[in-house]
Amino acid sequence: MKRILLGYERAGQCLTFDEYSGNNGFAALRKALGEMSPAQVQQTVIDSGLRGRGGAGFPTGKKWSFVPRDLPGPRYLICNADEMEPGTYKDRVLLEQNPHLLIEGMLLACYALGVEHAFIFVRRGYELAAENLRQGIAAAHRAGLLGRNILGSGFSLELDIHQSAGRYICGEETALINALEGVRANPRVKPPFPAVKGLWGQPTVVNNVETLANIPAIIARGPAWWRGLAATPEAAGPKLFCISGHVANTECFELPLGMTLGEIIDGPCGGMRPGSRFKACIPGGASTPYFTREHWGVAMDFDPVARAGSRLGTGGIIVFDQTTCMVGATLNLIRFFARESCGWCTPCREGLPFVRHILERIENGRGKTDDIEILREHVRYLNYAFCALAPGAMGPLEGLLRLFGDEVKEHIVRGKCPFGNH
Amino acid sequence: MPKLIIDDIPLEVPDGTTVLEAARSVDIPIPHFCWHPALGRAGACRVCAVKMLDGPVKGLQMSCMLPAQEGMVVSTTDPEAMAMRKGVIEWLMINHPHDCPVCDEGGECQLQDFTIAGGHGLRRYDGRKRTYNNQYLGEFIEHEMNRCIQCYRCARFYQEYAGGTDFGVMGRAAMVYFGRQQDGPLESPFSGNLVDICPTGVFTDKTARFRARYWDYDMAPSVCPHCSLGCNITPAARYRELLKVIARRNDKVNGWFICDRGRFSNQAVNAPERPRQALLDGKPATRDEALETLVGRLTEFLELHGPESLAIVGSPRMSLEGNIMAGRLRELIGAGALCYFNAEDDAERTMQAVSMLNGDNAASQHDVREADLAVILDCDLLAEAPMMALAVRQAWRNGARVYVVGRGNTMPFEFVTVASLADVPLTDAKRPVFISGIRHKGIASQSGAKLAFILDGPNAFGCALLARDQGAVPLSTAIAGGKVRGIVSFEADIPAEMAQGIRILAAADWRATETMQRAEIVLPATAWVEQEGTFVNHEGRAQRFRQVMQPGLPIKGLDPAGHPPRVHRKTPPGGDLLPSWLIAAELLERLSGEQAVEPLSGEWERLRGLDAEGEGFLFFINKQINSSEVQ
Repeated sequence: MKRILLGYERAGQCLTFDEYSGNNGFAALRKALGEMSPAQVQQTVIDSGLRGRGGAGFPTGKKWSFVPRDLPGPRYLICNADEMEPGTYKDRVLLEQNPHLLIEGMLLACYALGVEHAFIFVRRGYELAAENLRQGIAAAHRAGLLGRNILGSGFSLELDIHQSAGRYICGEETALINALEGVRANPRVKPPFPAVKGLWGQPTVVNNVETLANIPAIIARGPAWWRGLAATPEAAGPKLFCISGHVANTECFELPLGMTLGEIIDGPCGGMRPGSRFKACIPGGASTPYFTREHWGVAMDFDPVARAGSRLGTGGIIVFDQTTCMVGATLNLIRFFARESCGWCTPCREGLPFVRHILERIENGRGKTDDIEILREHVRYLNYAFCALAPGAMGPLEGLLRLFGDEVKEHIVRGKCPFGNH
Repeated sequence: MPKLIIDDIPLEVPDGTTVLEAARSVDIPIPHFCWHPALGRAGACRVCAVKMLDGPVKGLQMSCMLPAQEGMVVSTTDPEAMAMRKGVIEWLMINHPHDCPVCDEGGECQLQDFTIAGGHGLRRYDGRKRTYNNQYLGEFIEHEMNRCIQCYRCARFYQEYAGGTDFGVMGRAAMVYFGRQQDGPLESPFSGNLVDICPTGVFTDKTARFRARYWDYDMAPSVCPHCSLGCNITPAARYRELLKVIARRNDKVNGWFICDRGRFSNQAVNAPERPRQALLDGKPATRDEALETLVGRLTEFLELHGPESLAIVGSPRMSLEGNIMAGRLRELIGAGALCYFNAEDDAERTMQAVSMLNGDNAASQHDVREADLAVILDCDLLAEAPMMALAVRQAWRNGARVYVVGRGNTMPFEFVTVASLADVPLTDAKRPVFISGIRHKGIASQSGAKLAFILDGPNAFGCALLARDQGAVPLSTAIAGGKVRGIVSFEADIPAEMAQGIRILAAADWRATETMQRAEIVLPATAWVEQEGTFVNHEGRAQRFRQVMQPGLPIKGLDPAGHPPRVHRKTPPGGDLLPSWLIAAELLERLSGEQAVEPLSGEWERLRGLDAEGEGFLFFINKQINSSEVQ
């Protein structure tokens, strides 16, 4: 299969600007600036069917089309590189190998959107990625690909890196915008959506690293070719899947969107580890309900995964074998979410610690029969939190109650964890 | 104007009204913590959930976040909505210390009310509670963070509404903390509003700590006497001691808030040195003796020096009623001078303000909040009228431009300093206001602009109205005339240099002033909270204040040394006091032998029915009365 995201890989090293440029890098930018209008670039992205790779899967071209073009003042593009979803490390791999792909993708997006100042919001811990980006941006400046009047086209762009102070909530686009403005990273009221009123009150598009990195190939090779990289007619393009857990190969793979779960685990993942049997997995990062053996044949694409009761999310697959206590696994995730709540709204701030407390007491053998009902109430009412953090956190809990209800009851009835964790 | 149905009640509300406000307009209470009328929506607490049964939005929704739309059918009693609200209360009560018995908020606590209303009763969380360290926030506000339910009202008020920078929110998740970077007094001159705005007992009034419960308070609608703005307040007293002052809503005046000076500067009411005993030449006397002697000495004085040698002195800090009676007294005696102001420039400026203002151009605090251009002339707003600075800040937050002519002090908004009024671009302003400071002179009327004159005293406007009608002169002018040999003073502060050469000085006041110390006849009076009366504020708004408490020495039940004498009598010890206007009336009656006419008669009669809980009554010298203002 042709790899367009990780195809430039050099083992253990970051691709240099010259290597990228010499290998057809920035060809898409030259093509767009030379032959295409901004509207054509946007239309090409719409035609490709590209959907956001950050978790929500919103069609990228459609998101761009919400930006009003007639408002006075600047527009902004922000690349969301605040990758903090547990089990997800695709953007890191991408940026540590090749920052130039993102830079080219952002150039194309900014050209389409009429943006002259864009930001890359990088997760605190991603020092190497930030350094790669800094060097890539400097090199692009030297080559005349950033700055004023790029390639004589009249299009100008400045690209700035912001290293986050670090919090999961900064991945929420409006909280990210607040963090970038220098205020508390609480999510904002929507509407107005960032596309209309975002950074400093101006129209703003926030796109994920992987989303933007796909755009050079879409422009260079055309939307039809790019769509065809997927495994099914319904899916579009490639997807980075980052694998962890009890499989043989835990890596980040670039795979056709729409491969089934079974094909991914038995194929690139090299199957389960010796002695391990597949019990369940998180299909798309920590905020997605579990898949079990019965989901083996689900095509790993946005809509099929949603129809199967979960979400493709970021494509971060965490595989659990038969030795995993699902209550313990869920508790682990809930601890993360409870810690990472921004503290703005009550359901998230107080509800998640309540869930953590209940799961702790079940896992520690002090669970009560009523606890399951308390958990169900939380699954239901945390949906009415201010932003998507708490509903996302309820993903694995909902999966636990739906798919592993017997295991939860066993904890309560036996008064201890059947897996001997406690 | 969308039409919607809430709990089977059809209603029509203005565009932009939220479902929560729409429900409130038909007296359907929906629990809320983070939402506050002055702060707007936040969407943080999630306790105002309602069920949308039909219309453009369906399902469970937060009523504070949802604008009312045509065709909405809302249920506040739907089981799912009630379950959500109960759940939110349960979450909030997980960490609340349940220390109501030792919490000053108990009985006036929104969290108590909504916990009961929400139906949460049984505790299901059996883990440890989160605890915090409290901070020292100064001598006025007690901090108890464990009670916090994280509604963010305090931080939103302090930073956004009031422009404070030394207090805010820190931390994240379940350890969010509302406080300062380090212990220390709150710097904002509006910090006391945290006490009012906190829905539970995180911020309580330290000056009234552990003194009384809500149901113990003697309370009545009142008006702040600390500057000319006339902000509405509710003083709370118990056992003849003024305990604290709470902001009272008046949308035309102060809105929901008051400044810290108004809230925390009322120690004079309880001051031990306060005059409570009539004195004759420094010796205790009954009020009757004092008044009788005064009448005798006055008669003698008038025969000896003639009425033109006597000055009757009122004061901008005395009620309108008192000042009216001072005028009547002068009329009866035919005294040489009636004085309401000490200094000439003060009198002149106040009279000018009164003559320029009418029903169309007087700027209320509400008008200032709604302005799109504010020009501040020679005025240190935070010192002269702090709430006006807060009003300008609201205009500025909504995009108004602010100019300061002359020097500009630090204020809670950004402004441009210009050398003269001519440098202010006025042309494109639709709702301009001019705010003129106490010392500023010579403002000309600005066409289309509203004017706010910051005056010196809660009733300076009322005094100017009276002075104009009755030909009063400033005291300095009267003294300079060289004839004045005797003064009868009501709540006035007569400078020592003006009292030289005075043969007879009688003074009535509730404060232990220098004038009272010098007076040969001392007549103690009631404070404004111990009587009913009227102040006319800087815009000509007459506002009624009601009697809050009985006068008398406070009962210090827990401190035997501080307790008043335990003897049986009809009036409480130290409580044999009359309002200044009644002292003047007594004097009138004794001098004339006729019954005095009540002060609010003649042209003042229309103030008789003034509702203390209304918006006030605009009273201008040119008699332009905005009838819609009458409550």
